[in-house]
Amino acid sequence: MRRAAAAGLFLTLIVLPFLLPNPFYVHIVVMMAVFAVLGGAWNLIGGYAGQLSLGHAAFFGTGAYVSTLLVNATGISPWITLWLGGAAALLLSLPVGAICFRLQGPYFAIATIGLGEVLRLLVLHFREVTNGAQGLTVPFKGEAPWQLQFESKFPYYYIALAMAAAVVLVTRRMERARLGHYLVAIGQNQDAAEAIGIDSVRAKGQALALSAFVTGVAGVFYAQYTYVVHPDSVFGLGMSIQIALVAIVGGVGTVLGPILGAAIMESFVQSTQIAFAGQYPGLELIVYGGLLMAVILWQPRGVIPWLARVFRRAAARRPAARGAQT
Amino acid sequence: MKGEALLQVEGLAKRFGGVQAVADLSFDVREGEILGMIGPNGSGKTTTFNLITGFFRPDRGRTRFAGSEVTGLPPHAVCARGICRTFQVAKPFRELTVLRNVLMGALLRHPDPVEAGARATEVLRAVGLEGRAHMEAGSLTTIDQRRLEVARALATEPRLVLLDETMAGLTPTEVGEAMRLVAGLRERGLTVVVVEHVMRAVMSLSDRIVVLDQGTKIAEGSPAEMASDPRVIQAYLGAEYRRA
Amino acid sequence: MDLTTIVQALISGVLMAGIYALVAIGLTLIFGVVRIVNFAQGEFVMLGMYATYWLWKLWGIDPYASLLITMPLLFCFGVLVQRFLLQPILHAPDLAQIFMTVGLSVALMNAALFSFTADFRSVKTAYAERALHAGGVTVPVTRLFAFVGALALAGLLTLFLTRTDVGKALRAVAQDREVSMLLGINPRRMYLLAVGLGTALAGAAGGLIVPFFYVFPTVGVVFGLVAFVVVILGTLGSIQGALLASLIVGVAESLGILFAGADLGLVMVFALLVAALVFKPLGLMGQA
Repeated sequence: MRRAAAAGLFLTLIVLPFLLPNPFYVHIVVMMAVFAVLGGAWNLIGGYAGQLSLGHAAFFGTGAYVSTLLVNATGISPWITLWLGGAAALLLSLPVGAICFRLQGPYFAIATIGLGEVLRLLVLHFREVTNGAQGLTVPFKGEAPWQLQFESKFPYYYIALAMAAAVVLVTRRMERARLGHYLVAIGQNQDAAEAIGIDSVRAKGQALALSAFVTGVAGVFYAQYTYVVHPDSVFGLGMSIQIALVAIVGGVGTVLGPILGAAIMESFVQSTQIAFAGQYPGLELIVYGGLLMAVILWQPRGVIPWLARVFRRAAARRPAARGAQT
Repeated sequence: MKGEALLQVEGLAKRFGGVQAVADLSFDVREGEILGMIGPNGSGKTTTFNLITGFFRPDRGRTRFAGSEVTGLPPHAVCARGICRTFQVAKPFRELTVLRNVLMGALLRHPDPVEAGARATEVLRAVGLEGRAHMEAGSLTTIDQRRLEVARALATEPRLVLLDETMAGLTPTEVGEAMRLVAGLRERGLTVVVVEHVMRAVMSLSDRIVVLDQGTKIAEGSPAEMASDPRVIQAYLGAEYRRA
Repeated sequence: MDLTTIVQALISGVLMAGIYALVAIGLTLIFGVVRIVNFAQGEFVMLGMYATYWLWKLWGIDPYASLLITMPLLFCFGVLVQRFLLQPILHAPDLAQIFMTVGLSVALMNAALFSFTADFRSVKTAYAERALHAGGVTVPVTRLFAFVGALALAGLLTLFLTRTDVGKALRAVAQDREVSMLLGINPRRMYLLAVGLGTALAGAAGGLIVPFFYVFPTVGVVFGLVAFVVVILGTLGSIQGALLASLIVGVAESLGILFAGADLGLVMVFALLVAALVFKPLGLMGQA
């Protein structure tokens, strides 16, 4: 039953762009896929390891900037810089983890905010290299598949979809591997975990490295898709919060949470943008903030766990009629 | 080598602000024995465990295990070397099943989760918890939580187990079960250090006893010797006077 | 780079430290009593700034005088935040608590953007241009007033916490929630008080700097971040620590601006945070 549903979903996702009326809608699903990737990546460290990052934009922006700088300077294919951008983000994450994961408390959250902000300021400051506030552009090549540029939005969609699928698979593998178990143990009780041989700093560090890598790759994709990178948007606190929000709204520590979260968030963003027609700056973000607070008040663990509970209760009710005889 | 010193604690000291919790503590634990550690409340027993297992770093002193230095190693490294401990207040992974709790311990030596699962099931059988394998750890009774603590520690395949007040708050029958559990550990070839206040348990289980008071060792010997040692009696009675 | 310039930077740093201390004390008070990390503390500063601005703009009230209005106003706001947003999630997982205040922060920042636009606003008072000069060093009176005001408020708070029964009750709850309940202290009321005070202090900080600082919707982000560094460096929950740490941070930022450039002052502060986390993660006050 489950397999059929999954297969059906998968097929729908594959044909989806063809079913949509115009490119604007395709853009929306591309963004949904990108945020599904970002949320999924955040989930690895925020959901499974329980370390709340409010600065994932740092990794996102690093990927975007490293890639775009390299592409502009050397003409190298973005298919290669996808990996380089991810690697750069991964390297960035190592000292962060090493310093913060020894400590218990809100330090990681605070340090990540700082990281995002500092990178943004550094990029703005060193404008001879990064073009400062004006940002960088990807040299337009028209239809150039080897340069990760396409004229239609469809190929971008499929690439993003593939990335999202990869994140889902990676998350599931991790869940089942030793690292996944260790992260759960650490989340339950770090002292007890340490006492039975779990190196919590290392485990969290691995989760963060993986998360940062994927986020960096998504940043490279984003740069290629939008052709522009601005420090305020890719390194901004707003981006960090959006990323975290996707995972939280959907359900932290679950495989499908970020996907659902991305779908919800992106629909939300787009409908508010349509409703307010760009007339009222900041209104949609007020709604974001309000949404975040409302979700926390109502279901602190997110939508997917709530749905899971609803389904479990529904399933529990059915056999009761039969069980009444015993 | 049975009978030889497996763990050597030399001159350990630890101060917290104005309190000298452990002061110049030295003792050995011999392979294959059950060593009882007793002493009035606040004598530094749990702190000693924390120092040995890396939860605190000693201000002075060394700990040697199986001939190599383990002073100042982080807890997970100490466990990897072969020393595992339980906590005075049990720390189960509450939302996880009993089996998964023990699996976490087994993963240390068996990184493949499937294999670790098999090992965990064996361990559960050894401590008598296999019937509760799929219960949520947080819903266990006290005695079963203690069993779980021991099982989880056992799953890491240690050579030395440090049990911190495993029998606190148990009924007499449960104490008997716990005693059998601890004796069973020795039968499996493990060395055990037991911190306890339940005197009949410690005295009958232990091969040797070390008595702590105010952070230092005041006496050491067989249970019979310790029971009649005037210094030990003084320490327990004296502690009450000191508090007044 | 001569001595006068460096002294000037040091003095500027110390003066600004007073403001940072005020915001940080509010933050550490909230954490100490309610055990929630308030990621919206910077936005409370921003609210104080806007309130002060509008009071001046619409009714010509002097920024320092308007403290008498903005502080109670922000106190009430803090009480409402605690009552309706924080109290319900007091026992929720850390994630929920952090994101609640993050959500509040985003909502406030953008409410300001929506209501007041992104325009930079400023308040021009009669004394804005006046400054003290001594030995080649210039001290604008507005900065001096801000520093003195901040110290005064910090001093008042300390008196409140040490000399009044309510203040002591607050400290009791910060030290041990359960025991203070046994003593008959109502923790819920203390939480309301703590958040109210913490918010009022942040708002006051905002009001004090309006005479020499531009007002815009995201102005709070920097203050929030700096307050965090101060609180961590000074040990979470310690007011004395916050005072000491704010000095260090203020001077570090100032020297950073002097040697690296105006836009990199925050980078210096962040470097301090990293140093603190590496060398003294529990803060200057140790095991608080």
